[in-house]
Amino acid sequence: MAPRDKVVPMNDVLAGHGLAKSFGQTVALNGVDISIRAGEAVAIMGPSGSGKSTLLHCLAGIMKPDAGEVHLLGRRIDSMKERERSALRRTRFGFVFQFGQLLPELPAEENVALPLMLGNVSRPDAVRQARQWFVPLGLGGMEGRRPGELSGGQAQRVAIARALVTKPAVVFADEPTGALDQSTGHETMRLLVEATKHNGASLIVVTHDPGVAGWCDRTVEVRDGNLLHSAVSQ
Amino acid sequence: MSLTWRLLRGGGRRGMLSTWLTLGAVVISTGLLLFAVSANVAFSGRADRGAWRNPVQATGQPVAIEAGRIDYVGDRQITVVDLASLGPKAQPPPGMARFPAPGETWLSPALAELARKLPGDQLAGRFSDVTGVLGEAALVHPEELVAVVGHERDAPAMTVSRGDSLRGDISPTKVDSLAGVPSEDAEGYRILALIASVLMVVPLLVFGGAAARLTVARRDQRLAALRLVGATPGQVVRMTVAEAMIVAFAGAVLGTVLYGLAVPLLTRIRIGGGPWFASDLLPGPLVVLGVLVAVPVLVGLSAVVGLRRVVVSPLGVAKRETPPGMRAVRLVALLAVLAVVPMLGTSASVGVVAVVLGLAFLCINLVGPWAVGLIGRITAKRAKRPAKLLAGRRLMDDPRSAWRTVSGVALTGFVAGFLGLLSPGDALAGHVASEQLRLTAPNTAAVADQARERLAKAGVKATVKTEKNLVVTDVRTADLDRARTALDGLVPGRSATSEADDQRFTGQLLDDIATGTIVVLSVSFLVAIASSGITAASSVLDRRQTYALLRLAGTPLEVLDRARRSETLIPLVVMGGGSIAVGVFCASPFMMTSPNVSGAIMLAVCVVVGFAGVVGAGALSRPLLRAVTDDPAPRPD
Repeated sequence: MAPRDKVVPMNDVLAGHGLAKSFGQTVALNGVDISIRAGEAVAIMGPSGSGKSTLLHCLAGIMKPDAGEVHLLGRRIDSMKERERSALRRTRFGFVFQFGQLLPELPAEENVALPLMLGNVSRPDAVRQARQWFVPLGLGGMEGRRPGELSGGQAQRVAIARALVTKPAVVFADEPTGALDQSTGHETMRLLVEATKHNGASLIVVTHDPGVAGWCDRTVEVRDGNLLHSAVSQ
Repeated sequence: MSLTWRLLRGGGRRGMLSTWLTLGAVVISTGLLLFAVSANVAFSGRADRGAWRNPVQATGQPVAIEAGRIDYVGDRQITVVDLASLGPKAQPPPGMARFPAPGETWLSPALAELARKLPGDQLAGRFSDVTGVLGEAALVHPEELVAVVGHERDAPAMTVSRGDSLRGDISPTKVDSLAGVPSEDAEGYRILALIASVLMVVPLLVFGGAAARLTVARRDQRLAALRLVGATPGQVVRMTVAEAMIVAFAGAVLGTVLYGLAVPLLTRIRIGGGPWFASDLLPGPLVVLGVLVAVPVLVGLSAVVGLRRVVVSPLGVAKRETPPGMRAVRLVALLAVLAVVPMLGTSASVGVVAVVLGLAFLCINLVGPWAVGLIGRITAKRAKRPAKLLAGRRLMDDPRSAWRTVSGVALTGFVAGFLGLLSPGDALAGHVASEQLRLTAPNTAAVADQARERLAKAGVKATVKTEKNLVVTDVRTADLDRARTALDGLVPGRSATSEADDQRFTGQLLDDIATGTIVVLSVSFLVAIASSGITAASSVLDRRQTYALLRLAGTPLEVLDRARRSETLIPLVVMGGGSIAVGVFCASPFMMTSPNVSGAIMLAVCVVVGFAGVVGAGALSRPLLRAVTDDPAPRPD
């Protein structure tokens, strides 16, 4: 499907138009249109292999779509060079994954401070800003602990702090509660949605758990590379 | 076993890459190990083959008389052995079909060839009635110049005492047999070879251990998973050992083949005045069998040690717990060994020196990880940029792994520090006049007259004079060999030699120390650089998930690469420098003169080549880093 030029509404922070992506014979995305408004939390649901993670990777500039366009705040990002997209991910996006995103060698506060340091903030300033996230996220006193010394829920909260510390426009979360038990998962989602909205950022969550999707403002469903429908959460 | 085999084969593209890296490491290790072992066997072979020329006084009924002297042609040494039979029981020396009859001369192939090439009045004139050619068994090395001359038992050459034993002259000695004993020089070379082997084998063992853990690093998560599903520690250990040993055995076989192919090149290394017989450097079947068994066993043991944490706790690897801290007692061990060094002197026995040296070497290896951890702590504390912070924290997190990367060069630095300044270099050899031939004579005036007559007959312009018990002949350098030939046999059992000739043994010894040092350093560097390359690649593979996630979150590849480089360079500079200092300190009691320029230059070259090699080898894994971080979807494996 050929990419279409679209006028991006100004209140859309992030928008994808006609996104298509194939891996060999497998079609992962088949002309998907999606838009995310400022401060909105959107859940992308679908069974395994439906293309939801590919959609997230295309929207986050991790992967280039075969066809279609991605716009961030009106600026086309899919045609940027890798270096520019990399800088964009560092400054405008935040990421929370199922597991493994924390550097095991660094204490929690340095894990959170790292994106700031990569953006040339001095180390003392970066660590000071990072520490401010610990108490609101219920991590007070855990600044010096290493990821191996944190529980799964605590590690995810550190990851949330790290995703938000650079004040991004959009936070991407790929199965953020997949490795957690139900009650810890719900608590983590509550903190993720609240903290993201509190900072004025949009949130895109990939999940196959309706309970997780229920925390979001809107849910879109992906099946066989197509966006089936969009529903507003109750 | 079948499960192990399936795990090994089913490791995927990256799994197979680790297997290839391990295999490569074991091939190099085995080849170099065989070289280190064969070098000792080769020096022993030389010592044994040369033993017949170092006679032992008869205790029973003597069967022969043996004497020896050193002659020269050009700048090459000729060993002349005089033999006389005392009866029919005299067995021929090794390499000769029969005992030489009086008047017969047998020449080594190289001497026979040289005698044919040079004009007769320069060399061939010294040997009358050349009867046969000496076999390999009589020779220390293939280019050795040896002449065996048969005499009557009462000939002057077999009765008159000879002078300078330091120069290689041996007075007539009645012997029970021509077995003899290895000379002191040969024993000295054998001990030097042993020390060189220790210096080469320790980094090899470290390298082999790193290679073994490379297999484990790739497998630890899978094996932890096996533990989680109920495999017993014994089963995990057996699978690990089996997997590591399958790869190690294949590597050992390939390494042996590689060494066999390298032997023709290795025989060209000139030590002790010449190259080697291929049979010297070809290890015997027992040695090969020993290596083929020992290498897989050592690799298996190393793998077990690497897996200890997985076996102890199934969650150990998955949770990335803080590794147990290392104690400063490691430093105390090194300091204790270094405290002994000033007590050693040139009079200390070689065995004690070898033990102290070996201990210092092992202690550096013991202190290494502790020091790397300390360096990491300091780096992390002072870091202002992310790359330095990451490097420092990683050094703190896994100092053993970081040490494995730099240990080769650090230990080589120790060797370079020790040998670089120990070698007296050219300073002692100096330059001496070579136009004056001296001949010790009992009756100098008569011998001087005969010398003038012989030289005039040979057409050599020379001035002959006497000094105490010496007949001194001033001659042009171009006429030196003609003069030597003319004067040959003038005084039975003595050769006319120049001052330069007398210095040749010292010169050869210095050359040999330099050659030995270069060989040891080359081997150490090869190991160090290969070790760095393999460790860097395995480090990328180990951390591929972390690297992929960091890049995904927007971390520039340069930052990751810089962190990786700092992770190697910081401990390399500190530990490499420290090891060189320890090496120099250990060499200080044995330095005969002040440190020489050539030694210092060699040291500097070693440092530059070593550092460049390690950095270069590390840079080779950059494409691998790019490849693993290009994968956009982070996977646990």
